[in-house]
Amino acid sequence: MPLTNRGREILERLPGATFQHGAGIGCEIVRHEELCVGCGKCATNCPSGASQRGATFDVNQLLAAPADSRRGALGAALRRIACHEPSGLVEVPERVTVYRTILYDAEKCLGCGACVRGCPVEAIEAQPPKSDAAASVANAQPAVTA
Amino acid sequence: MSAAGAVQEPAKVSTSATQDTGRRTIVAFCCRECAYAAADAAANARTPLPPTVRLVLVPCTGRVSPLHMLEALADGADGAMLAGCLEGQCHYREGNFNAIDRVKFVQRMLDSVGVEPERVRMFTMSAGEPPKFVAAVREMDRTICALPPLERS
Repeated sequence: MPLTNRGREILERLPGATFQHGAGIGCEIVRHEELCVGCGKCATNCPSGASQRGATFDVNQLLAAPADSRRGALGAALRRIACHEPSGLVEVPERVTVYRTILYDAEKCLGCGACVRGCPVEAIEAQPPKSDAAASVANAQPAVTA
Repeated sequence: MSAAGAVQEPAKVSTSATQDTGRRTIVAFCCRECAYAAADAAANARTPLPPTVRLVLVPCTGRVSPLHMLEALADGADGAMLAGCLEGQCHYREGNFNAIDRVKFVQRMLDSVGVEPERVRMFTMSAGEPPKFVAAVREMDRTICALPPLERS
């Protein structure tokens, strides 16, 4: 979040203080779906509801996962017995917790990076803001280094 | 996975009891608290079981993940069954409910890649019901023997 004036005053008074989350909101969120394990941590952490746990699962995600991951092992087993390519999405029963596709809505995303900090497998990346609007938000804050 | 590894033993057992079906293998993941005890009692009573079935002891059916079921199929089994406690009587409170949903999920995944979903099934019974265990195994055996052998690439 951007600093308030009061916050800036406090920061200036503290010797050697730095404002770590300078970029604040407006980061570009990049999701690496092939690494995702579908735990839904990002959905729990998301303040704006941009990431949500879906009710369906795309079986192609198993086939695309890296071979040394758990999903990859499942995909490898599935590929050996499969007759054809997966046909569409699979509905996930309630108690199956991890095999879910995370729905990410870029329109709602604030770019705060809460999902990045929560992700256990580093499947989400926050990159510095790109768009003009986001950049102006980020530039409005001083890069304070006391 | 170790469970699937234990399953690997080839089906060298005589298949005379299963009519014309060739060699099929069914992996039965049995809960230690109920189904395995029921299987034990059935074996002590010398009830004949279909030779297709291989028992795998698990502490609870909730321990069995989709990976166990799929790897069993991929590594040589034609079917996989889970035998757990009656609903609401799981010794770990809800392990069998988790297993029921996972089985449903695996069935849907199999369906989406063109494999018969009946190859994976869940049964529930209590420790005091060996006949129910035997009936479940026989039913699974009939289902699997009616299907063609699972093709693998």
